[in-house]
Amino acid sequence: MENENNNLSRKERRELKRQEKTAEFAREAKNKTIRRIALWGSVAVVLGGAVFGAVKFAASPANNNLMASALDTISGNDWFLGDKNSKITLIEYSDFQCPACASYYPLVKQLNKELGNKILFVYRHFPLKQTHKNAEPAAWAAETAGKQGKFWGMHDMIFENQKVWSDQKNAEELFIKYAGELSLDIAKFKEDFGSKEVKEKVESDYQSGLRAGVNATPTFFLNGKQMQNPRSYEELKNTVFPDA
Amino acid sequence: MKNLKTLSFLTLSLIGFLDASYLAVKHYLGEPVVCSLLEGCEEVLTSKYAIVAGVPVALFGVFYYLAVFILIILYWDTGKTQFLRFAAYLTILGFAASLWFVYLQLFVIGAICLYCMASAITSTILFMLGLFIIFKTGL
Repeated sequence: MENENNNLSRKERRELKRQEKTAEFAREAKNKTIRRIALWGSVAVVLGGAVFGAVKFAASPANNNLMASALDTISGNDWFLGDKNSKITLIEYSDFQCPACASYYPLVKQLNKELGNKILFVYRHFPLKQTHKNAEPAAWAAETAGKQGKFWGMHDMIFENQKVWSDQKNAEELFIKYAGELSLDIAKFKEDFGSKEVKEKVESDYQSGLRAGVNATPTFFLNGKQMQNPRSYEELKNTVFPDA
Repeated sequence: MKNLKTLSFLTLSLIGFLDASYLAVKHYLGEPVVCSLLEGCEEVLTSKYAIVAGVPVALFGVFYYLAVFILIILYWDTGKTQFLRFAAYLTILGFAASLWFVYLQLFVIGAICLYCMASAITSTILFMLGLFIIFKTGL
């Protein structure tokens, strides 16, 4: 190298240095451009991704709690009467303390008695906590009895005695009394009554009702569609089972 | 240190951007926002204060956070402090808006929207960082 350099004239050496400098300049400029492209490119990707993510998240069904008719499908956790595989499904969202619910109770009972396995009837809790302070404990009581296989027994008892316990401060004691009449294990009933599992079941029913757009009780869904509340037993039966 | 501060600035504005975008998208999809933790989102976001001049407040938030974000990137790209300072001044506006919205939620609407509170938090931290930058780089 040195030899070679020594062979070059002073002018040639200067020229070489100048060229090297220009090349370095060009390289640096090129690197800078690449860095800038990378920077703004990543900005575009990040922002694009953020917007895409926000839209996707906002539009995902899991978040669309109140999309039209988001009625939960019938699950193993639901209390039902009749044939689980029936094509006719009737779901009731009800509040044990609501007078209208109590007046529909005999109609629904009659319907289930008459149609039996021809339909599937599901009862879901929709306690209107703000106006009916005992509605939620009543729902808990039914669930608690359900843990001992007597959901429907307690359900009937609660509706039949609605006037008795509705305005009582000691509603829980009355429910325990009903549990005794249904010959349930009282100690276990008391233990399960305030349990998390029971409360969560009622709350999950309530939330599913909100998702389905329920805002009054009782609300009936026939084959997934909200049904007008019938004015008589005949009307109920003919709507649910027109062929009979 | 200098980089850490701008990086947190950037991250916070991105979080705010995501939050506001979500609410703005929900608004334009016409769907109510349901919050499981605190039940106030729907009430707040459907109140008359959620829309100003026909534009949902969330959309203003989107542009605010986007502006802060882009300004920081511009600062990184060019190395010019003006961009950083401009972003810092912008956070004062964001903070003032947040104060107003928090006041509305607590004292006028009487319900709290979690997504809006999250935005109030990001804009408050941005404001504090912004003040730091303003004083550090000289008024």
